[in-house]
Amino acid sequence: MELENINPNVFKKSDERIITEKEWDESCIDPIDAREVFDLIRSINDPEHPLTLEELHVLEENHITVDNDKNEIRVLFTPTIPHCSMATLIGLSIRVKLLRSLPSRYKISVAITPGTHTSENAINKQLADKERISASLENSTLLEVVNQCIASRSNR
Amino acid sequence: MAGFSGALKLTNLDDFITPSQECIKPVDIKKSKTGSKITIQDDGTYLEETKLGSQKLQKVEITLADCLACSGCITSAEGVLITQQSQEEVLRILNENNQAKQNNENDKIKKIVVTVSQQSLLSIAKRYELDSVETAAKHLAGYFKKLGVDYVLDTKIADDLALIEARDEFIKRFQDQKTFKLPMLASSCPGWVCYAEKTHGNFILPYISTTRSPQQIMGVLVKELLAQKLNLKADKIYHVTVMPCYDKKLEASREDFYNEALQSRDVDCVITSIEIEQMLMTEGKDLKEFEMSNFDWPWNQIKTPENFIWAHELSGSGGYADFIFKHAVKVLFNQDVSELEYKNLRNPDFKEVTLEKDGQVLLKFAIANGFRNIQNLVQKLKRSKSGYHYVEVMACPSGCLNGGAQIRPQNNQQQKELTRELEEMYRSLPKSLPYNDDVKNIYDEFFGGNDSDKSQKLLHTNYHAVEKMNTALNIKW
Amino acid sequence: MPQQLEVIQKLSVHRGKVWSANWHPSGKMFASCGEDKTIRIWVQDKDDWIMQAVLSDGHSRTIRDVAFSTCGNFLASASFDATVSIWDKKGAAFECNSTLEGHENEVKSVAWSVSGNFLATCSRDKSVWVWEITQNCEEFDCAAVLNLHKQDVKKVIWHPHQDILASASYDNTIKIYKEDPSDNDWICTATLESHNSTVWSIAFDKTGTRLASCSDDCTIKIWQQYEVGNEEGIITPDNEPVWKCVCTLSGYHDRSVYDISWCKQTGLIATACGDDHIRIFRESETSTKNEPIFEMETKILAHKQDVNSVKWCPSTPGLLLSTSDDGDIKLWKFNNA
Repeated sequence: MELENINPNVFKKSDERIITEKEWDESCIDPIDAREVFDLIRSINDPEHPLTLEELHVLEENHITVDNDKNEIRVLFTPTIPHCSMATLIGLSIRVKLLRSLPSRYKISVAITPGTHTSENAINKQLADKERISASLENSTLLEVVNQCIASRSNR
Repeated sequence: MAGFSGALKLTNLDDFITPSQECIKPVDIKKSKTGSKITIQDDGTYLEETKLGSQKLQKVEITLADCLACSGCITSAEGVLITQQSQEEVLRILNENNQAKQNNENDKIKKIVVTVSQQSLLSIAKRYELDSVETAAKHLAGYFKKLGVDYVLDTKIADDLALIEARDEFIKRFQDQKTFKLPMLASSCPGWVCYAEKTHGNFILPYISTTRSPQQIMGVLVKELLAQKLNLKADKIYHVTVMPCYDKKLEASREDFYNEALQSRDVDCVITSIEIEQMLMTEGKDLKEFEMSNFDWPWNQIKTPENFIWAHELSGSGGYADFIFKHAVKVLFNQDVSELEYKNLRNPDFKEVTLEKDGQVLLKFAIANGFRNIQNLVQKLKRSKSGYHYVEVMACPSGCLNGGAQIRPQNNQQQKELTRELEEMYRSLPKSLPYNDDVKNIYDEFFGGNDSDKSQKLLHTNYHAVEKMNTALNIKW
Repeated sequence: MPQQLEVIQKLSVHRGKVWSANWHPSGKMFASCGEDKTIRIWVQDKDDWIMQAVLSDGHSRTIRDVAFSTCGNFLASASFDATVSIWDKKGAAFECNSTLEGHENEVKSVAWSVSGNFLATCSRDKSVWVWEITQNCEEFDCAAVLNLHKQDVKKVIWHPHQDILASASYDNTIKIYKEDPSDNDWICTATLESHNSTVWSIAFDKTGTRLASCSDDCTIKIWQQYEVGNEEGIITPDNEPVWKCVCTLSGYHDRSVYDISWCKQTGLIATACGDDHIRIFRESETSTKNEPIFEMETKILAHKQDVNSVKWCPSTPGLLLSTSDDGDIKLWKFNNA
């Protein structure tokens, strides 16, 4: 399989989050914020490049919104090229990582940053279909790739 | 484009992404320069912007043969067909050839041969309201000749050969059931063959007759026998067929029908009945306006047949079941049957006929048309419950007369009504005796006898199970 | 004041998502299925619902849907493993006696015709299959493969009185089919277009002249059938009845609506929503055939996660069954039925 985007732009990673004393305090009610969501998914690997979605600017913290009143988390991602055929796979990886990491009360939506992909609507619709997502994760070959994408770098 | 038969549409079909994105065929891509940016234009083309300015990116071309060899979508093959096998392509080749003829560029001139199937002729005769199919055929031949076609042929000789080969193959299989599995399944429908290769692979392929379809037998005859007669190299002949279904385009594109030694494809281009209608529409003319001309019969210089258009037994799909049944009854059981009595199963597109003696079934044949009956047949085979010796399988309901690329009914007529009328017309045609002098002659003089190595090689083919591709990056979900 | 919709019992035995549950025609039994690849059979024991059987050897992947035959002697299950299994009810036990193969990938829904002559299935492969049933469910012949939807088909249901089939799809449409007696093939007689996203489920009312649909576009729509020669003067091309959307319920649901059930006894409509709620709608007294009005009676936070299915009991008015991603099955009593 040839790479579609041979030489993508690579960006600097953001700094590590400074963990405050308050965050270690179990008794304190601590709603999830965008930064925490970002930390969960920033290290997901691109299926094609040995780079993370953060380094490729596929994911950015300011494209994540969290509504704790409605338990809604919305993540927008930006494919590196507008006809990227990996976009559904990247979206699936993000969604799976969040489903596995966040409390089940959250309603998670993963979608393409508007105007950045030729098949934006089709991909968004597929990523929003929970039945298709569930079925896809029973495909062992596909699951293996998703697991590789979301495995943290140190485990590879 | 009306599209392939239902059988193909179901096979590994894909989801919503367009063919260009769906295609998982790995291709070479030239490395782009660092620092370039790609933008999409309103017309869907891609522009690469570099420091040196912007440049339109080339689209990757996928050939039809690539599609056939791939376990991915078949639907994107449709897009490929439009460019590789179309009326536009035929007209382009004809124009180039006419130019070359005018300019006396002898090295560029090709002989253009068109072979028209009976099913298409019936469809065209009906569409242009010509009661006699023979008359319609002559007008059509006139149209092709006017376009610059050198030879206009019908498929009769190939239909005859296909029946003889299938019949002999059946007897061979029946008499050696240790080596061969029964039932023998018909092989002339490319939709069915393609579905079997992609979906049921090695389970079903051994049952399928190796006899080539009439289209591909015609391909051999034109590119080898006719070439020999005309003293031409095969690649100096451009062979077009006119067929009742789109799936025939896929068949012509199979690697098995590309002759490496001759560097030539047996059938270069397939167009369909409905495309003939479109060509005439573009010309703004009715078929009747073209002067009548005879079909060519290069197979016998001395005597041409009194008719060009012939029927073959009962079914409009070639009459395989009837012809083989009658022959088998004669050869294997030394009996004669004139009329076969078919019994309809659950629907009229699945029927069977048996030869019984003292309450014992000696021979059991069936005709299974349409995708639902292909399913029922496959399920019966899987449960080893069929009991059939031969099945004529066609992907379209009612068989080839109702092929997916036949001309649509006019004036709100129902499709089924039209098919009934075509069947009636078909039955009124003179009946061909497949084992006739011209066929014998071809066997003797060209193939070196029946069952010769040459006839085995050129009149039979192979099937290939398509392995499911498990490239995880491209799994459709 | 008691809640209008009260939980009677919560059954937490499935592991993972419970995709669907469906009643036995007697209303005294139901089957549930889900991600754990099992079917569970539940029966009523005095006031409690207890599990009578676990069927765990039928499928290799998620079981998406289950349905009892009208005669009550057979159960069909549809799975992501691309097959449909037919189970014979032998007293309290169930035996898998046939497996229907043919779909290319995930089977999403299965339904028995009321006449007992047909079974319908649908799949992500975009096709709807009609299977003809012969001799006491011994054989299933493929009567039709309908490739008319452009996408994934989510749901198939049968008309309550006739052999008329309806299907709902990811392509945003609903299609109606019937058998063509001339060659026993099936033809599409109507395509219902109005939803802006996936139609997840559909339900006929008790007469079969109305259809309710629920969608990813967060709306419910009510469709009315107009026969050939209808008094409203609505044109019916091809001499087939047409279906018109006569009512859209929007603004009630906050997320995708996954299932809808139209009670044949009370006329109440229940919906299962991705916002974890169940809602009950009742037709208003001022409602008319051509301009129906439905009002929401109640809305309740029913589960901890998405509600996947709701089904009114065919025998006890007001008894409702729901299943959810949270792994629970719940039985509800609607007090104002």
